[in-house]
Amino acid sequence: MNLKKQFVEGLLTQNPVLVQVLGMCSTMAITTSFFNGLGMGVAVLIILTLSNVIISLIRKIVPDKIRIAMFIVVIAGFVTMVDLLIKAFVPALSESLGVFIPLIVVNCIILGRAESFSYKNGVAASFFDGIFQGIGYTLVLLAMCIIREFLGAGTFGGGLLGPLNAAGSPAGIQILPEQFAIKVLTLPVGGFLVLGCLIAAMQWALSRPKKNKEESN
Amino acid sequence: MSKENKEKVQMDPKYILTLTVTLFVTCVIVAGLLGGVNAITADRIDAITKEKTEAAMQKVVADPEGSTFSDALELTEEMTAAAESCGATLAEAYAVEAGGAPAGYTLKIDASGSQGIITMMVGVDAEGVVTGVSIVTNAETAGIGSKVMSNELLPSGVGVLDQFQGKSAEGGDLVVGSGVDAISGATVSTKGVTTGVNAALAVAGVMG
Repeated sequence: MNLKKQFVEGLLTQNPVLVQVLGMCSTMAITTSFFNGLGMGVAVLIILTLSNVIISLIRKIVPDKIRIAMFIVVIAGFVTMVDLLIKAFVPALSESLGVFIPLIVVNCIILGRAESFSYKNGVAASFFDGIFQGIGYTLVLLAMCIIREFLGAGTFGGGLLGPLNAAGSPAGIQILPEQFAIKVLTLPVGGFLVLGCLIAAMQWALSRPKKNKEESN
Repeated sequence: MSKENKEKVQMDPKYILTLTVTLFVTCVIVAGLLGGVNAITADRIDAITKEKTEAAMQKVVADPEGSTFSDALELTEEMTAAAESCGATLAEAYAVEAGGAPAGYTLKIDASGSQGIITMMVGVDAEGVVTGVSIVTNAETAGIGSKVMSNELLPSGVGVLDQFQGKSAEGGDLVVGSGVDAISGATVSTKGVTTGVNAALAVAGVMG
């Protein structure tokens, strides 16, 4: 078990969104306000960690032929529990994330990590893999939320800070005047644009040190 | 699975039994846990849903303080057909009482907007006049259709949802552009709400 390596992998070199390009659907759809991104990120982090631990625990008794079915049962169970708990205790979040919480079941980050990591590694390593991959996912969501919210609506911290809007939820702190906002960034198209730029920046950053080495050789 | 494939698969009955039992036991355990969580949360979720419905209904009646609401009424075929003839779906209906006298209905209507279903609560009084419209859930575009959902003011100074107050089915169906004003850029969302209000008036008409 190599915590530092796992940490760097989860956040940077094997980032679930920017490098593995998993979980696109939720990344694109919910990153319109800070509160949504944080809620979704934390929900996925919790579910990913729990399912990683359980799958790692049962990996020796799961027959190879039905492992995917078993993974899905475990994941779906956790997602439904988290969905019910959010509905009961954080109704505002369940309202704004809506159908995307149940859809975590088919978020490929979770099945992907079950198949490629926790099925082959110990419980502790799987636990930290869940945490670090979850943090990696959350950070990308937050980055996207902040960019899309700031450029698209001129606000920061939507759903969490700022004055109440007509629907009774905080509208965020207005930083840019609204008339300078680029509305298209809050639409799905804007999600693709922002994500594309982020992935490009990530690939550039990751490939840079290698190039330097090659050049110096 | 075809016959050729079957022969290739390991046909040891014991192995197949292991697969079945493992999967079955996993499902039972997960289902049991879910049942437990559901038992804890079901009451709270019900209470929250009920509270939200009540709050939405209070927004759309003439006298929010003095009104009481019945439990959800049974929907008759006539009522659902009336809503459908206007292009919307009736989800729930409640009878309103103010000061002990019947004071119309609140109707929960689903109508399509520009990005999905708009669910709205429409209050109609005993004379068939709209007392208020409020949006329960919607998926309209943030910053455009959402302006309709949040009751943004029209150029005339009246909220886009408030403009329906006092309208009735007397002059035929309400139409955006004549009597109903749309938020500029959000005509489709405004039309969606108008469809819902028409459906509510039609249903209330059937209910008498």
